[in-house]
Amino acid sequence: MGAYGLRTHIWNNLWKSALLLAGFPLLLALMAFGLALVFNDDPRALDYAMRSAASRWPYFFAIACVGAAVWFAIAWVANQRIIDGITGARPVTRTEEPLLWNTLEALCISRGITMPRLAVIETPERNAFASGLSRDKGAVTVTRGLLDALSEAELRGVLAHELTHIRNGDARLLVIAAVFSGVISLVAEMLFRNMRFRGGDRRGNGAAVVIGFLVIALAWALGFVLRLALSRRREFLADAGAVELTQDPDGMIAALRRIEGNSAMPAIPAQVRAMFLDDPPSEGWLAGWSATHPPISARVAALVRHAGGHDPGIATDAPAPPWSTPPKAAIQGNPWWRGKA
Amino acid sequence: MEWIVPGVIAALILWLFLSYNRLVSLRQVTNQSWSDVDVQLKQRHDLVPNLVEVVKGYASHERTTLEAVVAARNAAVRASGPEASSAAEGALNASLRQVFALAENYPDLKANANFMGLQNELSDLENKIAAARRFFNNAVSEYNAMRESIPAVLFANSFGFKERGFFELAEADKAAVQVVPTVKF
Repeated sequence: MGAYGLRTHIWNNLWKSALLLAGFPLLLALMAFGLALVFNDDPRALDYAMRSAASRWPYFFAIACVGAAVWFAIAWVANQRIIDGITGARPVTRTEEPLLWNTLEALCISRGITMPRLAVIETPERNAFASGLSRDKGAVTVTRGLLDALSEAELRGVLAHELTHIRNGDARLLVIAAVFSGVISLVAEMLFRNMRFRGGDRRGNGAAVVIGFLVIALAWALGFVLRLALSRRREFLADAGAVELTQDPDGMIAALRRIEGNSAMPAIPAQVRAMFLDDPPSEGWLAGWSATHPPISARVAALVRHAGGHDPGIATDAPAPPWSTPPKAAIQGNPWWRGKA
Repeated sequence: MEWIVPGVIAALILWLFLSYNRLVSLRQVTNQSWSDVDVQLKQRHDLVPNLVEVVKGYASHERTTLEAVVAARNAAVRASGPEASSAAEGALNASLRQVFALAENYPDLKANANFMGLQNELSDLENKIAAARRFFNNAVSEYNAMRESIPAVLFANSFGFKERGFFELAEADKAAVQVVPTVKF
């Protein structure tokens, strides 16, 4: 189905990411079949080994599913603490960052979303991320560099992007994808490391073992590609959702342009970087396939095409227009104001 | 093999249901974004009488201009729906511009704090109207395109999904919405 505008663009991406997600159990089954081939115990002909693998792969599949479930349970419990520990994010209160807090709160109120935890990382890079495995335990984290560089409308776009991630349950989705592809790559790595030792014990059919290795390698590579493709779809979805929330495509576009080229955070591990607002890919011919985020230009083009935005052009290093700080008198006259006046 | 025909029929029915629901949801987006435009327009309508009062205090003999603004404002209040509002809001834009042009001849008026505040508020509102209008028109064009595509085109008319009009300001008035009036001292 073609996309005529913002809503249809969102539906298309939802549909595509559902398809991608459905690919993971299939890959796990593929890997189980490969395992059954590698551990075949029929030295006669290849087709005997194939037949025995076809009857035995459900056992391997069941074990892999249990492994994935345990891994997921651990990830569920530890997720937020690991992320906070790695990124060095510090929770902030309304009085410390009144403008940031109020902007996020206004967005939440306008759509009836629970206000997520708000945190700041004290680095000059410009980036942000949303975390939290359930909708009411979400957290939005922004860097100091982002706060200093962006105007009010641009920051609203970024916060709406992160809120959309929370609303869409993307942190959970990425954890599911990471667990699936993690199980596959763990099994594959263990097998390939021990390949030499298995060479000595030839109880099964040799050709079947080779095919089994190839099948597992295929599942490994596809799992990697699938996870990243899913992550890129969710970024397009969050961009579009942000425009729906703020009704201001230009703010989101300008924010993306300001972040372009200033978002690299090499100190953060790649698995966590996948959750950020932008994660510039490494150079090379595989860059398009191995990127967790679509290139900024593609994200801007999608917003121009589907949301009617205007692209101001390549990144502006010009300072952002000053924020409309509430006049002092108004603050002091407000008995509920607890901020710095 | 006997399940193929029922399966295809079921898939077709599902497809029709899905398209119908999508059309409903797109229409809802246009309604909601129109009400967002309307809120801003109403705020502007509420500011116009204040502006007229302030200008009267300094330039009471510019009666024709002021009466034109009041008439345009009342017409805009009466207009409902995007098509009717397009013309009325365009006229209101034009007459508001005349008031601000007229103020150039009255330095005292231009220096008046109330007048300056109103001018800022109006230009801020016009920016917001421009953004909300763009969002609304985008939603309308998406809804209209979906309405005319297969399979929605087969049932859209009979189920009362009418084509929606855009909220356009006349070409000359678009400039007024986009260009913020400059204030010189």
